[in-house]
Amino acid sequence: MAISFKQIEDKLKTEAKGLLETGKVSLVLAYGKGYDEKHPMPYVARRPSDADNIVFNEFCTHNMARYMVRYPAGTKMAVAVKAADSRAVIQLIQEEKVKREDLVLLGIPAYGMKNPKTGETIDSKTTCGLYNPVLYDVLLGEEVHGQPVVSPYDVLAQYEAMDKEARFAFWKKELDKCIRCYACRKACPMCYCDPCFIDQNKPKWGEKSPESAGNLMYHLTRFHHLAGRCIDCGECSRACPVNIPLYLFHKKVAKDCEDMFGQAAGMSVEDKPVLVNFRVDDSDKILE
Amino acid sequence: MSFEPKILGIACNWCTYTGADLAGTTRLQYPQNLRVVRVMCSSRINPSFIFRAFQLGADGVLVGGCHPGDCHYNTGNLYARRRLAVTKKILEFSGMEPGRFRVEWISASEGNKFAEVVTEFTKQIKNLGPQTQFKISQ
Ligand code: SF4
Ligand code: SF4
Ligand code: FES
Repeated sequence: MAISFKQIEDKLKTEAKGLLETGKVSLVLAYGKGYDEKHPMPYVARRPSDADNIVFNEFCTHNMARYMVRYPAGTKMAVAVKAADSRAVIQLIQEEKVKREDLVLLGIPAYGMKNPKTGETIDSKTTCGLYNPVLYDVLLGEEVHGQPVVSPYDVLAQYEAMDKEARFAFWKKELDKCIRCYACRKACPMCYCDPCFIDQNKPKWGEKSPESAGNLMYHLTRFHHLAGRCIDCGECSRACPVNIPLYLFHKKVAKDCEDMFGQAAGMSVEDKPVLVNFRVDDSDKILE
Repeated sequence: MSFEPKILGIACNWCTYTGADLAGTTRLQYPQNLRVVRVMCSSRINPSFIFRAFQLGADGVLVGGCHPGDCHYNTGNLYARRRLAVTKKILEFSGMEPGRFRVEWISASEGNKFAEVVTEFTKQIKNLGPQTQFKISQ
């Protein structure tokens, strides 16, 4: 059964209007018109009349959890969340960046989302591959069922099988393309540090101009900072103007964290992020 | 001339660094390829230190901390164990030879173990040859 994006859009509008009218929230993070159909934009509705500007279609890939951390603590807000986006919200709750009670989550079961750049359908190859939000207050539509369940880590096999030199060459070629526009960190719901380590001058962690060494430092450290936190929404890679498959590295680190610590990011508000946690009986084998 | 690797050692003040001192005062012999930096705890080690060390020309990096359960700050090395395990995985997936990075728990009384680990790790790095992948060419 195909999802009707129009129906979701209508429900989003109604919910947003209701929430803003009753004053339950002071803003709604959703999507609005861009310069054409294929490029909807993040949109913040603040007045009930703003709700009419909300749109939803298969190109609304942005992770709106990204914008929650911009508002002062305690701001009551509603957020439109697709599957991975809801995991980002959960992760941000775990990190005490937002409080559950301040949020109204408008869950969107979305199947058949498309990458506006390539027109490809987004699935487990570039994201976590879930279709239903993990956490929500209102579900705007019926849950998606009956889609094949594919591990989001399957796509890694061919890269894991490469020998070290080939893998190094692969990443060097990819990371050398980086123009350091920082769209990846801007799109990422988990990149909220101010300042980002790479913008610091004392100490200066890496070269700031777009060249091999600085790019390597920026990306390896960013992959590390997202370990156990990246919820595999794939937004970083879709935002990248030079199409670096950042999601591959993030997936690999997520997979390793899941293997080593037995917990995936953003699946339960009860969890603690794996790297600010430990078990006394963690095995030394993980260091081998 | 034979290859003499540069190895960065990062040792926690309370165990491994003291263990290194003990190795020195008991006049144990070990290769001089290791340059040790002292930190207060293994959990002080920012993973970027390790990436940066490789960029600035280290052929290997050895991290030393107290045995789990013995950390001076009780739980520092339990966090560090998880964090550095991730660092290792990231190095490996980037294509770096994982054998160039090692974490060892060495207590203040284990001067012997310190000397053994350094000897063995130095040999390993010698076999791997110079690290060129991350190194920034001057
Ligand atoms: S690193 Fe990329 S895939 Fe992971 S949460 Fe951030 S934007 Fe999403
Ligand atoms: S979005 Fe792409 S080009 Fe821009 S900083 Fe990130 S990886 Fe580099
Ligand atoms: S003080 Fe030695 S590891 Fe924490």
